[in-house]
Amino acid sequence: MTDATQPSSESARRSVVYSRPKSTSKRVLFMDRFADRAITYGGLFVIIAVFAIMAFLIWVCLPLLSSGDLKDRSAYTLPHHGGQTYAAAQTDEQLTIALDLAPSGTIEAFHAPTGKALPSPSFDLGGKTATAIGKTLQGGDIIFGFDDGTVRVGTLTIKQMIVTEAVLPAGGEKLDERDILADGAVFSRVPGQYRRTTIETALEGPAQVAPVGTPILKVDYRVSGTAERPLKTFVSLDAAGTIRLSQAASIVNMMTGETSSDVTSSEIPTDVQAGDVVALLLNADGTRVIIGLKDGALLRFNTRDFKNPQQVERVGTLPAGVTLTSLAYLNGDNSLIVGGSDGSTAVWFGVDRKSKDTADGIVLTKVHGAFEAMPAAVTDIRVSQRTRMFLTADSSGEVWVRHATTERTLLKLPQTPDASGLSAVIFAPRDDAVLGVGRNGQVALWRIDIPHPETTLQSLFGKVWYEGYSEPDYVWQSTASQDSFEPKLSLVPLIFGTFKAALYAMLLAVPIALFAAIYTSEFLHWKVRAVVKPVMELMATLPSVVIGFIAALVLSPIVENWIAAIVIAFAVIPLTLIGAAFLWQILPGRIALLLDGVPKLIFFFVAVILGVWGAVAIGPSVEAAFFNGDFRQWTSGEGSGQPFLFLLLLPLSALAVFLGWRVIDGIVGYRPWMRQQGDIGAGTVEFVRWAVLIGITLVVAWGFAGVLTSAGLDARGGIIGPYVQRNTLIAAFAISFALIPIIYTIAEDAMNTVPEHLRAGSLACGASKWQTARWIIVPTAGSGIFSAMMIGLGRAVGETMIVVMATGNTPVTDFNLFNGLRALSANINVELPEAVKDSTLYRTLFLCGLVLFALTFIINTIAEMVRQRFRKRAAQL
Amino acid sequence: MTDLTAPKSATVSRAGAGRARNYATDLAARGEPMVWAMGGSLAIGLLMIVGILGLIAWMGFTTFWPQPVAVVTAKDGKVIAGEVFRDETYKPSDDQLKAMTPEQQAVVEGAQGYAERTLYRVGNYDLYGEDFQWRNVLDIASTEYPADFFYLERLEWGVFIGRVTSMTLAGAETAAPSIDALNEAISAGHDRRAEISRLKTDEIGHNSEKIEELRLDVKSATLSYGANDERTRKIQAEAAEKTRILEEESAKLNVHLAELQAEDAKYFATLTDVGGQTKQQPLSSIVRLYKPNDMSFFEKLGTYFGRWGEFIFAEPREANTEGGVWPAIVGTLAMTVLLSLLVAPFGVMTALYLREYAKQGRLVSFVRICVNNLAGVPSIVYGVFGLGFFCYVLGGTIDQLFFPEKLPSPTFGTGGVLWAALTLALLTVPVVIVATEEALAAVPRSMREGSLACGASKWQTIRWIVLPRAMPGIMTGLILAMARGAGEVAPLMLVGVVKLAPELPIDFSFPFVHLDRSFMHLGFHIYDVGFQSRNAEAGRPMVYVTTLLLIAIILLMNAAAINIRSRLKRRFAGSQF
Repeated sequence: MTDATQPSSESARRSVVYSRPKSTSKRVLFMDRFADRAITYGGLFVIIAVFAIMAFLIWVCLPLLSSGDLKDRSAYTLPHHGGQTYAAAQTDEQLTIALDLAPSGTIEAFHAPTGKALPSPSFDLGGKTATAIGKTLQGGDIIFGFDDGTVRVGTLTIKQMIVTEAVLPAGGEKLDERDILADGAVFSRVPGQYRRTTIETALEGPAQVAPVGTPILKVDYRVSGTAERPLKTFVSLDAAGTIRLSQAASIVNMMTGETSSDVTSSEIPTDVQAGDVVALLLNADGTRVIIGLKDGALLRFNTRDFKNPQQVERVGTLPAGVTLTSLAYLNGDNSLIVGGSDGSTAVWFGVDRKSKDTADGIVLTKVHGAFEAMPAAVTDIRVSQRTRMFLTADSSGEVWVRHATTERTLLKLPQTPDASGLSAVIFAPRDDAVLGVGRNGQVALWRIDIPHPETTLQSLFGKVWYEGYSEPDYVWQSTASQDSFEPKLSLVPLIFGTFKAALYAMLLAVPIALFAAIYTSEFLHWKVRAVVKPVMELMATLPSVVIGFIAALVLSPIVENWIAAIVIAFAVIPLTLIGAAFLWQILPGRIALLLDGVPKLIFFFVAVILGVWGAVAIGPSVEAAFFNGDFRQWTSGEGSGQPFLFLLLLPLSALAVFLGWRVIDGIVGYRPWMRQQGDIGAGTVEFVRWAVLIGITLVVAWGFAGVLTSAGLDARGGIIGPYVQRNTLIAAFAISFALIPIIYTIAEDAMNTVPEHLRAGSLACGASKWQTARWIIVPTAGSGIFSAMMIGLGRAVGETMIVVMATGNTPVTDFNLFNGLRALSANINVELPEAVKDSTLYRTLFLCGLVLFALTFIINTIAEMVRQRFRKRAAQL
Repeated sequence: MTDLTAPKSATVSRAGAGRARNYATDLAARGEPMVWAMGGSLAIGLLMIVGILGLIAWMGFTTFWPQPVAVVTAKDGKVIAGEVFRDETYKPSDDQLKAMTPEQQAVVEGAQGYAERTLYRVGNYDLYGEDFQWRNVLDIASTEYPADFFYLERLEWGVFIGRVTSMTLAGAETAAPSIDALNEAISAGHDRRAEISRLKTDEIGHNSEKIEELRLDVKSATLSYGANDERTRKIQAEAAEKTRILEEESAKLNVHLAELQAEDAKYFATLTDVGGQTKQQPLSSIVRLYKPNDMSFFEKLGTYFGRWGEFIFAEPREANTEGGVWPAIVGTLAMTVLLSLLVAPFGVMTALYLREYAKQGRLVSFVRICVNNLAGVPSIVYGVFGLGFFCYVLGGTIDQLFFPEKLPSPTFGTGGVLWAALTLALLTVPVVIVATEEALAAVPRSMREGSLACGASKWQTIRWIVLPRAMPGIMTGLILAMARGAGEVAPLMLVGVVKLAPELPIDFSFPFVHLDRSFMHLGFHIYDVGFQSRNAEAGRPMVYVTTLLLIAIILLMNAAAINIRSRLKRRFAGSQF
């Protein structure tokens, strides 16, 4: 038994021994599975997150292109609207109370969301009915004209104040979730408090404007000046066809406490018939009067001299057979919206063309005419109080929301309350609703949401004709001080600025970086290279804020003082270097060989420093001799443009002369002859030849510059122009600081990866180092060098702090090297901290980010693809 | 024969001579001009970097060295006292030329319209309304260095340059006090100031913080229970009682504070400037004073290091143009550490996924190209994304969920150190991914296979074989990412950097690390002081020193990266096969 059990226990033991290694520890399995999941999901998460950046940017930008939504429409019928013609509607910012004013002075107030009637004071017009009513756009100033030739000015305001809960009277009538009607006022719930809304009216006594008994037919009213001393101006038309411009001052009667108006008037010299006048318009400060006639003619009067108004222009706005049915000023009182009987709409404003046809040179011009035509005659035009949107209503009751600058019809409001036309239609003060009152007493309140009416692809990337400009242009101007200011958000000046900075910087950085890279890779001893390369890479670690600070605060004053020296340094330093090279050739071969390496490197430094010193030394004399004694003044147009053209033409004429020399060389056989001279002899001859050719180059360049100058060409106005302290030259110089190490490192790496056997083969065949570099290394590493340049360009395009600090951030579109610029990146940096979330500016700045992202992504992808191909090719060689 | 030999020898000799000369002297083949152009370019590049670093180092290191104060008498008799700030060759404008005497005009004319001038830091902004004055070198009649002139650094109005005529200690006036007596009185003044500021921030400030907390408690209760609930009422009553007690306490403290301030005002020095204008300066508001023209080398050295100490460990003053950058150093470091904590795991994880887990194919190489590209996307784009997504979308959501009582003032819904670190993490994650991938690719396949063959699981292989060998590369990538993150400014300006942060993101009050706080940053400090301050000239020395500090930090990080790389390489050099 024991025998039998023995092996079984042994086998059991053995099986235990064997079974253990088979089952992997649970911990290991778990860790393995956990790591598997974690790494997979984590990795995917990061990859998705990174791509989500683009998606998020697009998501923020997209609303810019949407035209707008109708969120809600409520309709109701006004109870007391017994066939009266109502003249002026009004509502408050939060859409609590809406009101409608009848010519009799009766105000019908109603709760805007529900239409419930509300108590309201009325104007006591002494039993008379107004024949004309004029109202200001923003404030509640109102004027009534009567058939006896008198006018009365007054105010009609919807007044709001914040009150505490304690003030709320008990037992109010609940109007809706938000509002309670109590004590003749509407109380709206706001967090923690209540807002009390009431209607207030005031009316001054009558003032005679037209001769007694002559009815006033039309009137337009503006109030300017300060709150304490308002300047009330109005223009009126009486039945006799006389148009008067009047100013009213309020006089308080000490005895009775009543206010009456003291009116002074001057007649506007015109012979129009009263029946022909469709509209009278006055601008905010009372300096311009526009009379719109039935045939579409607009008469413009300059009323700067109140006593002596003068007609300055008459312009026809509509084709024959079409009559003018409606005319209004856009917010800001500069652009006119002309509505015709054919349903057409157009925006006109004065453009300063220095024209001789009008007294002040300004010509009313049809600027925006591509609006969709309404189905019937345009009967009413109402403008927004804050943007350049307006409403047009036609005689069939249609109401459309338009935007003046983009010529878009943003919304066609559905289900009009009255198909026979509306008696009043208005924009709510915050542009978030439109209220339309039909002649039949039906009312519609459309809640609209048009967050970005002013942006379209055209306005963001195309030329737009803005008010006050003489032609369509690319403009970036996001803020200004006036209320009626229209933001101008064209990305073109910014994209232009981005590339302007990048290209000038590349022009500076690419030759230096590539030349330095070739030298490091092909000519330097590896021990020296081990020192030089990290030092150059050190430059890449400098934060751009440091470079920007040095550029703006140290470099720009120096450049400003020494601008002439710096401009000629671009010619002097290369000339010094090459001159030094020719002198070097005179050295006997043995000494030259001995000095090769570090001593030669030191000589390079000496030559560069000599070049800089030379430029600084001759700068003032050159400035005095050629640039009128002051380069900065010269850039703004003083003196001849020839010297700068000469500098520009130098490289070109050098190329021409040296290519020309090759031809001559081939004919006279200079090179074979030169080979037969001794070391020093050949070097000397070469130096003399070079000096002569440079002399010829200078003469050719000067002569050619002279020819071009006399042909009327001048670099000023093109790539150079008036000098500002923080300019593109400084920025380009600073950006090149950031670019040189990048381009240098990548290009040097590319040349290093060229297989050693190619280099060795070339040298073994007897090619010099220079020949090897020129014909073997650079062509082989070409794609790598190209990708280095592309990556440099990508960096230049996205550089932010340097551009913010070193340029004046002026959004201009010219190539002027001495002017500022504003790049996309700098624009974001400057404006985004101030932009309100989800505003048009905010989203436009996100669009700037997206454009920048796309630009660099494309540039980098090209670079990356080229580099991958290069790597493959290098590996095959 | 002769017929044959003659031409032959001629050919030989010509050919021989030709060959020998060709070999030595075809200068065109040597391409010397191009070589010089290339070498010159390298020299220009090196000069640029050496120049900029040299300039920063020179300006940064010399800024704090006490300069002598010169009393400069102009030809028209006007006297100024100040330290020489900088010399300049400039081009006088037409108006400046007209103001000169004919002889001076002739000198300028002779120098082709250029002239020399010196900028003096005259200080005394409260008296003159400017800190600096230019003097044309031609205009200077005499320059003296009087030994009794003082250079005072003050808490407000910048420096004062002039004489200390008397010192008043609680009514006892001492005429022409010695510098030791002054220093003693100033140090006593500092104690008073410290007491006042402790009272202000620690006690009164602490009380108002508590009151604010109570208000938020009430609001939070109102939000969760409703305004008319029993519990809300109770909390409200308690809060009102506590608030009342705290306010009473604060009122008492305020009285005490006023007493202290009145006492402090009795200690002052009377200062006289070079023109004889006097000013009474409370001793407690003098940071430091010395006699610049009457100092030994070691005294100067003391002042020099004293100023460095102040620069590194003190709070900024005078709209950041004076004082220290301690908050900016803390902010930069806190942000960078947070950034590396975020970027390291995610970057390494992604690289591991791409290299070890994902199926190598077109998709992965496409992703790789994209990741490479993202390293080239401008930093400002990340800033835009950070502001829109982290601050407004994520932060806004967090505020609504967790801090509704503080709304509408945002907690996480605005820029903060967390969002800044996240934004920069996104910006630098490609750097880490690329570096880690390269490091992983460099680990020989044989090692992985060996490990797997020994029965190790995939994770064990990665954990114990692959990662340690890839560590040098990973560390390098991480440190380079940190260095890049520390130097970035543009995106930070959108997601949380501020000119002056009232509180540090890391402090001793619970929970010690405040992720929602905005912070100061050395890079932004440079931009702010150099470009946004009232007097860019006055702030310039500060900018240089800050720049020096920032560059030193970044270069140190880069050096650390190189060092770690080489050390770890050495450690694993033996174990590779």
